[in-house]
Amino acid sequence: MTTLTRDAAPSSAPAKRARRWKPSEVRAGYAFLTPWLLGFFLLTAGPMIASLYLAFTDYNLFTDPQWVGFDNFTQLFQDPRFLQSAKVTAIYVLVGTPVKLVAALAVAMLLNMKHRGQGAYRSIFYAPSLIGASVSIAIVWKAMFIDDGIVDTVGQFFGMQAGGWVGNPDMTMPMMILLAVWQFGAPMVIFLAGLKQVPAELYEAASVDGAGPVRKFLRITLPMLSPVIFFNLLLETIAAFQVFSSAFIISGGSGGPAGSTLFYTLYLYIRGFNDFRMGYASAMAWVLVIVVGVITAIFFKTSKSWVHYSGDAR
Amino acid sequence: MKTRNKLTMALGVTTVFALALSGCSSSDDSGSGGDAAAVSTDEDITISLAWWGNDDRAAKYEQAVDLFEKAHPNITVQTQFQAWDDYWTARNTEAAGKALPDVMQMDLSYLRQYAATGQLGDLSAQEGVNLDVSGLDESLLESGAIDGKQYAIPTSTNTLALFYNADITDALGMEPPADGYTWDEFDQWFLDVAKAGASEDPAVYGGADYAVTFWFFLQWFMQSGEQPFTEDGQLNFTQDDMKEWLNSTADLRDAKAVYPVEKAKQLEPLTGFTTNEAAAEVSWDNFLAGYVADSGTENIEMLPIPAGDDGQQHLFYKPSMLLAPSSSSEHPDAAAALIDFLINDPEVGTIFGTSKGVPAVAAQRDAMDVEAGSIDEKVVAYEDSVADIVTESAPIPVQGFGAIEAEFKRLGEELQYGNITVDEFVEQWWANAEQNIPQS
Amino acid sequence: MTENTIAVEHVGAQHLITEPPVRDTGAAATLRRSARRRKGLKGLGFHAFVLALTVVILYPAVWMFLSAFKPSSDIIGEVNPIPTDWTLDNFTKALSGIGGVSFWTFFGNSLILAVLSVIGIVLSATVSAYAFSRIEFPGRNIWFGLMIGTLLLPFHVVIIPQYIIFNNLGMVNTFWPLLLGKFLASEAFFVFLMVQFMRNLPRELDEAARIDGAGHVRIFRSIMLPLMRPPIITASIFAFIWSWNDFLGPLLYLKKPDLYSLPIALRLYVDQTSVSDYGAQMAMAVLALVPVLLFFIVFQRYIVDGVATQGLKG
Repeated sequence: MTTLTRDAAPSSAPAKRARRWKPSEVRAGYAFLTPWLLGFFLLTAGPMIASLYLAFTDYNLFTDPQWVGFDNFTQLFQDPRFLQSAKVTAIYVLVGTPVKLVAALAVAMLLNMKHRGQGAYRSIFYAPSLIGASVSIAIVWKAMFIDDGIVDTVGQFFGMQAGGWVGNPDMTMPMMILLAVWQFGAPMVIFLAGLKQVPAELYEAASVDGAGPVRKFLRITLPMLSPVIFFNLLLETIAAFQVFSSAFIISGGSGGPAGSTLFYTLYLYIRGFNDFRMGYASAMAWVLVIVVGVITAIFFKTSKSWVHYSGDAR
Repeated sequence: MKTRNKLTMALGVTTVFALALSGCSSSDDSGSGGDAAAVSTDEDITISLAWWGNDDRAAKYEQAVDLFEKAHPNITVQTQFQAWDDYWTARNTEAAGKALPDVMQMDLSYLRQYAATGQLGDLSAQEGVNLDVSGLDESLLESGAIDGKQYAIPTSTNTLALFYNADITDALGMEPPADGYTWDEFDQWFLDVAKAGASEDPAVYGGADYAVTFWFFLQWFMQSGEQPFTEDGQLNFTQDDMKEWLNSTADLRDAKAVYPVEKAKQLEPLTGFTTNEAAAEVSWDNFLAGYVADSGTENIEMLPIPAGDDGQQHLFYKPSMLLAPSSSSEHPDAAAALIDFLINDPEVGTIFGTSKGVPAVAAQRDAMDVEAGSIDEKVVAYEDSVADIVTESAPIPVQGFGAIEAEFKRLGEELQYGNITVDEFVEQWWANAEQNIPQS
Repeated sequence: MTENTIAVEHVGAQHLITEPPVRDTGAAATLRRSARRRKGLKGLGFHAFVLALTVVILYPAVWMFLSAFKPSSDIIGEVNPIPTDWTLDNFTKALSGIGGVSFWTFFGNSLILAVLSVIGIVLSATVSAYAFSRIEFPGRNIWFGLMIGTLLLPFHVVIIPQYIIFNNLGMVNTFWPLLLGKFLASEAFFVFLMVQFMRNLPRELDEAARIDGAGHVRIFRSIMLPLMRPPIITASIFAFIWSWNDFLGPLLYLKKPDLYSLPIALRLYVDQTSVSDYGAQMAMAVLALVPVLLFFIVFQRYIVDGVATQGLKG
């Protein structure tokens, strides 16, 4: 009991020990890693390197790529639509991701309480994530946000005069963010699975010690959940940077109205597959890799101070 | 491909990927041009056929292919179909992998893109051997040819028309535009409808701002008697031409007499016209079936488009669809035989009706089972009625047409939202076109 | 620590892990029941709140469901969710298949792909995650970094190179391109998810088993897999649903209509170039939702129910 509580509380990372690798461990490690290594070298690495190469070429899909050096990259930063797509995506990441994660965690905690009907609620709250990937979502979601649709009606009740959000370039971003938040099912389920990993004894012991719900949340739930929080935070951030399907479906692939839903990867797709400029698209992709890579690295660096693994700290 | 191979080697890319690329570079253009022999009648051949469309077209193609397989028992046709957007995603990817289907439905806007980059086989040698093109109008056949090579055969045609909803005009007590109406008169009609329809709930408009559709600009330009693209695939119109066209509906935009873009965005993929809030829409004549289905009214009527300065419409028959063989096909003879069957066989004409446009070959047109009062009848009647004013041949789009058309649409949206001026529109469009159209 | 020791002693017999939690005694149950009565008010508040949330969240889903019963021309731009003319035509049409291929063929293909994806991902991701989280071997951190790196590149720019690989391997028109990556842990999301959960399992478990003489294969099978049930179920749900809704992969690799999956078929009802049937699309979308919803309803309870971690920890 005591050891676990200590693990759950913030502790410094284990000191790096200079060590010799045990041959049996090395063998086992690579044996267990074989499927991933095969997949990486057979399916993933080649196409990734190819796309990096293509970023320095003029490639129209139909004829051989021509080396152009850094041309694509210099063009990128003079392209107003590229800058627009970067701006749109940044707003989406900064606003949408935190809201979605907080909603997912809050609902997961609600659904983790001991009440009747939780199974039904879990299924209901996950339903949007099922529908969200359907092609029909464009029609459904727009119907919510057109003139006199449910959102407009509720908005008018509160004195909002935005009209239908779909056709209003100022309101499509909130609409897209709401669509993302509405689909909080995936991080919610992961949070739920994480909450189940928290040993109930910890809470019982804390109750004995007279801890209230807030203290339990801060002292037990958050630290024990930190690997899962880290996972959701990182993956949702990356996913938000790469958001494509919903914008593609809702805007019919155009990023409209007036460029207000021109997300980064949507513009990348338009460049690559509609304008046949796959070199340019690849350059865009690698700029994104660098940006998200830096952010990911920062996440991992800072995670050492707030993410605690019960299996690591010894 | 050389450079890519060297580089990937240098990077020490995995064997499989290197293999993939070498496989890619070794497959060169076979089957294009060359000699044609009558298609074999004993060798077992499988060819693939790809098309875009809906469930309804799927059923029709299935029947047509069955007939072909009956006529050529040794040939099996493997069909595949996708919705329009998906079709091009799949084809473009296959083109990059040199794995296009033997025969594919082709759209005029992609024709030069595919032909100029060596994706399509030349059918010239097949003519008179496996392919009979004698039933096709000469100028129509030419719309599938580039630099003297026949890359695709039109299956059917469409031409522009003004659709109007008679239920709406009747309710407003309006007459449709009169015979031989001009663009100016058309604009005035828009203003009149918007005025009369303002009191309706929801308000009724004349139609959407037609100036922001690229094809209409091209048609308007052709009313000056010139083709919009040069033989060698460059633009034949000037920035001033485009400005004049876009400014022609400026009054309508200012008077808010066109269907509001904010509302149009809410209804996509429908339009104000198909939700019965706009009286008219200019479009291709074979869209009638879709308009009737979406709007739920049968009373959609058709008129020719407005006339140009010389009082003529200068319409052209656009191939609504073409069939093209892949240059990498291993069975160019069988591919040509399939194309021949699909464009010439009367029974195929009966099966498809006007769903792909009006059949290009008379034998198929005559075989159509046109019911009185049907959509087919209306479309055929329209094309018959405009036969005399179809005076131009279809423009062959430049390489990069898809991109410049999409840019026109995008800028049109910005223009309607008031984010840019006509001058900015033209300036930005031109910059984009210079990037996307390869210099000859 | 005592319980832990017991657990370890039982590892050989593999008993405790699957043993159900200790049942409430009669007295404890009575106590709990009266406690529940005291909590009645709190429960009422909970249900009122969650039900309100349900209404908001489910409104679009209900709109979608009811739209499937509307005539096609009444769907887009319609604010009212209740059909004025109820019709079953959409379902008849959706069930009648496309181009001579029956609805059930599409359905069956989707099901095969989804089930095999689940199996592939669960197997490969847990095995790889075990290597990353439980075995120490040289290069581990580099491979882990590379794995995270594969998350960063937008997939659109690897579509073409990947297609070229599979095309040259002669795998187009088979399910292989869609499944191989799943069996080779190419989807870093799942590996990372498993890593986060596995790292959070107490280290005493394997250390004690080691002392008992268990090797990695046995520790993986007998300790890790049973304790990983919540994340495995979570991953299964995602794997199933993502495969079920995947559209681009089938579009590129499945060319024979007999091999098409549901999302390809769904999109065929809407053709911008001729006649669109939004009603049939909506009906097929609703029908396509049934299996995923069932899958979720059946499996969601395993995320939260009956894992014996509590018994093992503390």
